[in-house]
Amino acid sequence: MLDKIKSNFNTQTWVLIPIAIAINIAVGQIVLVLKLPVFLDSIGTVMVAVLCGPWAGALTGALSNVIWGIAIDPGAFPWWPVAAMIGYMAGRMAQWGFFKNWWKVVVTGFVVALTAAIVSTPIAVYLFGGITASGSSFITAYLLATGQGIWSAVVSTSFLTEPVDKITTAMIAFAIIQGLPKRTIGGYPKSNQVATEGGASSTQLYIAIGVVVALVLFAAFMLRNILGG
Amino acid sequence: MHERLSFHIQRDSFLHRLNPLTKLVLTLTLILLAFTFPWYWTPHLLVLIAVIPLSLLGKVFREFMLTALRLIIPAAGFLFLMQAFFQPIGTDIIFQFYFLDMTSESVLFAFRNAMRIVVMVSAFTLFLLTTHPSELMSDLTRRGLPGQFAYVIISTLQILPQIMAKAQTIISAQRSRGLDTESSFLKRAGSLIPLIGPLVFGSLVEVEERAIAIEARGFTSKHVKTSLHEIPDPTFDKSLRWVLLILIIISIGLNLWLS
Repeated sequence: MLDKIKSNFNTQTWVLIPIAIAINIAVGQIVLVLKLPVFLDSIGTVMVAVLCGPWAGALTGALSNVIWGIAIDPGAFPWWPVAAMIGYMAGRMAQWGFFKNWWKVVVTGFVVALTAAIVSTPIAVYLFGGITASGSSFITAYLLATGQGIWSAVVSTSFLTEPVDKITTAMIAFAIIQGLPKRTIGGYPKSNQVATEGGASSTQLYIAIGVVVALVLFAAFMLRNILGG
Repeated sequence: MHERLSFHIQRDSFLHRLNPLTKLVLTLTLILLAFTFPWYWTPHLLVLIAVIPLSLLGKVFREFMLTALRLIIPAAGFLFLMQAFFQPIGTDIIFQFYFLDMTSESVLFAFRNAMRIVVMVSAFTLFLLTTHPSELMSDLTRRGLPGQFAYVIISTLQILPQIMAKAQTIISAQRSRGLDTESSFLKRAGSLIPLIGPLVFGSLVEVEERAIAIEARGFTSKHVKTSLHEIPDPTFDKSLRWVLLILIIISIGLNLWLS
C-alpha cells in the first residue's frame, strides 16, 4: 500500500502539483470571465491524477481546496474531501485504461461526477443542512419545496449539475495531455497510461457523442428512480 | 492585476506570538464546538465570547470585520434566507410569500446553521490573518510534516499570482486578436480552448527544469534539515493545546451521549 502511494510521487510530481493547483484556480477564473455555467476547477487535479496516479491526484485535490481557502475564500475548506475524491477516482479510472480515447474519457468524467456527487452530499447535509451558498442550491430548494427528502434532493441536484462539469473537465484535461510533447510527459510516474489508442478520430468522436447521450439517458433514469422512491 | 494572496497581516500581538500549531488547534476547537456541542446557542455565543474578542486580542479587528462583510456575511445571509424559506419543517408559519413559507422552526434552524458557518469561516479567517503561511509550514515541518507538503503549499502561494497574471495577459491578448468572450453561449464556450491552452502549456514546460533545480538542492534528501528561523513553543502553548483538546473531547462526547 505505502509503496503504491510512494510510486505516485517523484520530484516531477511534487513540482507539478503546485502548478496544477494554480491551473485549477486560474481556469476557474477564466470560466468566470466567460460566464459559463460550469466550474472547471479541477482540470489540474485530473491531469496530476492521470500523469502521476490516484494518490497524487487526491493530494492535489485536497491541497487545492486548502490553498483556495488560504488565498481566496475560507469557505472552501470543508469541501476538500470532494476534491480529493475527484483526483483519486480520475487516477483510478486512468489506471484501468479509461483515459486513452475520447469516449473512455467521457466515461471517466461521468464516473468522477457520480463520485463527487456522492461525497459532497453528506458534507452539504451535515454542514449546511442541505442548502449551501452555491447557485445550484435553488434546484435543491425547489426539490425540497416539492416534498422531497433532504438526502434525495441534495443527491439529485448533484446528479443534475456535476456530470456536465466533470465530463468537460476530463475532456479538456485529455486534450491538454494529448497536446503535450512526449518528452514533457515522459518524466511522470504513470506516463504510460495516456498512450492513445489508434482509430480514426471522427469515428471516436461519434462514439463519444453516443456515450454522452447514453449517459444522459442513464442519469435521467436514475434521477426518476430516486425522485420516485 | 492585483490579487491579494495571503490574508496575513504582520502585527505584534498576543495572537501573533502564539505558536502556529496552537492557533490551528484553537481554530479547529472553535469549529468543532460550534458543530458538535449539543446546546442550541453555542455557535452564537462562540462568536460573541471567542471570535470577536480574539480578533481584538490579535489587533486585527478592522481587517477581520472587512473580511466578514465581504465574504462571511453575504454567504451566511444567503444560506439563512434559503434555509429559512425552504426547510420543510415546522407548522407555525410566521411569514408567507406565494408558495414560500417561513416557520419559526425553520428560522431557528436556519439561524443556527448560518451561525455555524459564520464560526467556521471566521475562525479560519482569524487564523489566516494572524499566521504567516511559511511560519506555519516550518513549524509543522519541524514537528514531522514531510518537507514536500510544505513545498507544495508555499510554492503554490508563490506561483498562483504569476499564473493568474498570465491568465489575464492571455485573455487580453486573445481579445485583441478578436476572440469573442462576450456574445452568445456557444461562442463563449468555444473561446475556452484558446484561453486555457496557452496558459496550461506555458505553465507545464518549466516543470522539468524546476524539478532538476530543487533536486540539486537536496529536495528528496532524508536528512534532517536545520532551520535558520526558530519558532518558539513555550509551555503555555503546550498546556493550552491540551485544554482545547479536552474541550473537543467533552463536546463530542456530550453530543454522542445525548443523541
